[in-house]
Amino acid sequence: MLQQVATVITHHQQRLSIGSRVLAGLLGSYVFAWGFVTLVVALGLTQGADYDEMLTLAYLLAFLVYLCAFLWAFAAASLARVWLVLAGGGVAMSGVARWLTSLLA
Amino acid sequence: MLSSFRLSMTWVHTWFGLVLGYVLMVCFFFGALSVFDREIDRWAIPETRYEPQPMPSFDAMLQPIFRSIEPDPQSYDYAQDEVHGPLPPRESLAMSDVGAYTTHRDPVLDMYVSFDVPNKPKDANLDHVHVFGYATIDPRSGTVISNDKLKIGSEFFYPLHYSLHLYWKNLGYWLVGMAALTMLAALVTGVVMHRKLLRELFTFRPRKQMRSVLDLHNLTGVAALPFHFFFAFTGLVIFAGIYFPVTNSMFKPQAEAHEKVEELRTGLPHDPAHVAAPLASVDAMVAEAQRRWGERGMPGEVGFLGITHLGDANGYVSVYRAGTDRVTLTGQGIHFRASTGEVIREDPQPSAVAGINDWLTGLHLQHFRHWLLRWLYVLGGLAGCACIATGFIFFVEKRKRQHAKAGVSGARWADAMGVTAVTGMLIATGTILVANQLLPGDLPQRGDWEGRIFWLAWLMALAHAFWRSAPVAEGRLSPAWREQSWVVALLCTAAPVLNWLTTGDHLLKTIAAGYWPVAGFDLALLVVAAVAAYAARRLRRAELALVATAKPRRESLEAAHA
Repeated sequence: MLQQVATVITHHQQRLSIGSRVLAGLLGSYVFAWGFVTLVVALGLTQGADYDEMLTLAYLLAFLVYLCAFLWAFAAASLARVWLVLAGGGVAMSGVARWLTSLLA
Repeated sequence: MLSSFRLSMTWVHTWFGLVLGYVLMVCFFFGALSVFDREIDRWAIPETRYEPQPMPSFDAMLQPIFRSIEPDPQSYDYAQDEVHGPLPPRESLAMSDVGAYTTHRDPVLDMYVSFDVPNKPKDANLDHVHVFGYATIDPRSGTVISNDKLKIGSEFFYPLHYSLHLYWKNLGYWLVGMAALTMLAALVTGVVMHRKLLRELFTFRPRKQMRSVLDLHNLTGVAALPFHFFFAFTGLVIFAGIYFPVTNSMFKPQAEAHEKVEELRTGLPHDPAHVAAPLASVDAMVAEAQRRWGERGMPGEVGFLGITHLGDANGYVSVYRAGTDRVTLTGQGIHFRASTGEVIREDPQPSAVAGINDWLTGLHLQHFRHWLLRWLYVLGGLAGCACIATGFIFFVEKRKRQHAKAGVSGARWADAMGVTAVTGMLIATGTILVANQLLPGDLPQRGDWEGRIFWLAWLMALAHAFWRSAPVAEGRLSPAWREQSWVVALLCTAAPVLNWLTTGDHLLKTIAAGYWPVAGFDLALLVVAAVAAYAARRLRRAELALVATAKPRRESLEAAHA
């Protein structure tokens, strides 16, 4: 009986961990790519580049960045590290971008 | 995630491929059809079956037609939802911008008008909301073609492939975007999954059921791998503004500042002056634009003609060149002051980044004249469809015997969804074409009816697929594949026959006249019908064979995937 309960718990945990991995892959990578886009544009603006130019460049690269982040989310061993790097990194890049644009104003 | 890199990538390929594959199928199939969207329009609207025409005279023909275009009722209702307070009456709205657009494949001219809405938008990020009006005309005579006649190619199949006709909160664009990302991931993980890539590149084992399916899946995926990667990637880049809307969020102040700088740099006013002004001869401006293009060594036709701030002192006329002879979408636009006809600006060569973007997106959107390349695009798109379909089939084949033994029905539902996404999609397509021929010519909102019939047919195919799926739960073939193949064969034979009966344009006539938009589509339909009939007969044999050998196969399923 205890063994059956144990099996049920680990099956449930497995579902949760796969779900979290999928979320990290889709959403975490999105946050990371968003941060990347804002950082590229902000860096360009501080160098005096044209807004449209930097945005186009950022968009051209964004989906390749997203793809790499997405695949890494599933390749990496540690789910915690995936969330930290993708979501954390994305928020950090976005924060730096915000700070850089505040310098321009 | 799993015990090895290869296994993790295999998991991503299998599960994202399966779930998003149903959406991706729609993108690839209707994307392939969209290569010839204008030609399908000709088939669907028989009164437009003549040769492509150049942009006609604005002063003599277009100006009075523009004045007569009314705000579209649906666009008006949509705008009402987006603003505070009641809109002014539809007839009283003032025109702000107009545009006319044609390509080297269009006999007809598309005209649109945008109307000013004084109300404040509900969305704080928007400056204004517009109401639009549309007209399609025969440029030879100025006759207006009713908006009730749906352009099944350019206004149904084409938007279906990038938006799924699901516009609420851009949901369709997001689903397509996820499917596109899955395509990129599936291509990379597909390569990673193979242990002996070069050897497997040259492997095709026919007549071995599951192995043949897998080999075909790999073949269609790898042979057109650059194509598949490129189209998914550029599709995402084209809609990047929807996926990463930074302009309307973090960079709103910078974007607005940039617009003001642009206004000063280009001399093109962003806002009207609210001072009335006459309109000089637009034909003279067009002639001047063509003269300037000729001077630059690129003589050409007008692709897009637009007037911004119509009737206002700040109004300007933009003339863009049709990009028939180049990949890049840049239109070498020349802009004139509307009241005097003097040149304000000639668009310069694009920058390096903009040029790369235009070239990449231009290859996806293909406005150029190159028939061989267009047909290669269709073949690539169909190869993508074959790759996805064989993926579904392999997924089910690999699991259905295990599931049958375990009494689990996962493979059965996956197979029913596969039928829906493959033959069901073809049934919906055939049905809208047949409906197009059978519905009364002057039926009000005929296009809306054709659209409803399309979705209803697909829904019925889905119901049929699920209803007939029971044999899969016992490890056998669902008869739905064969039954729906027969329906596809029937519909794709009926469509050209009905075209002949209702319009008189039968194949001998259209081929003799060299009118390939209709001849080509009729022939393509007959080819599809033949393939579907052949498939149905083969499926019958396969079904009977499986019934005869109802024991589960001895060889391990993993070995088959080696």
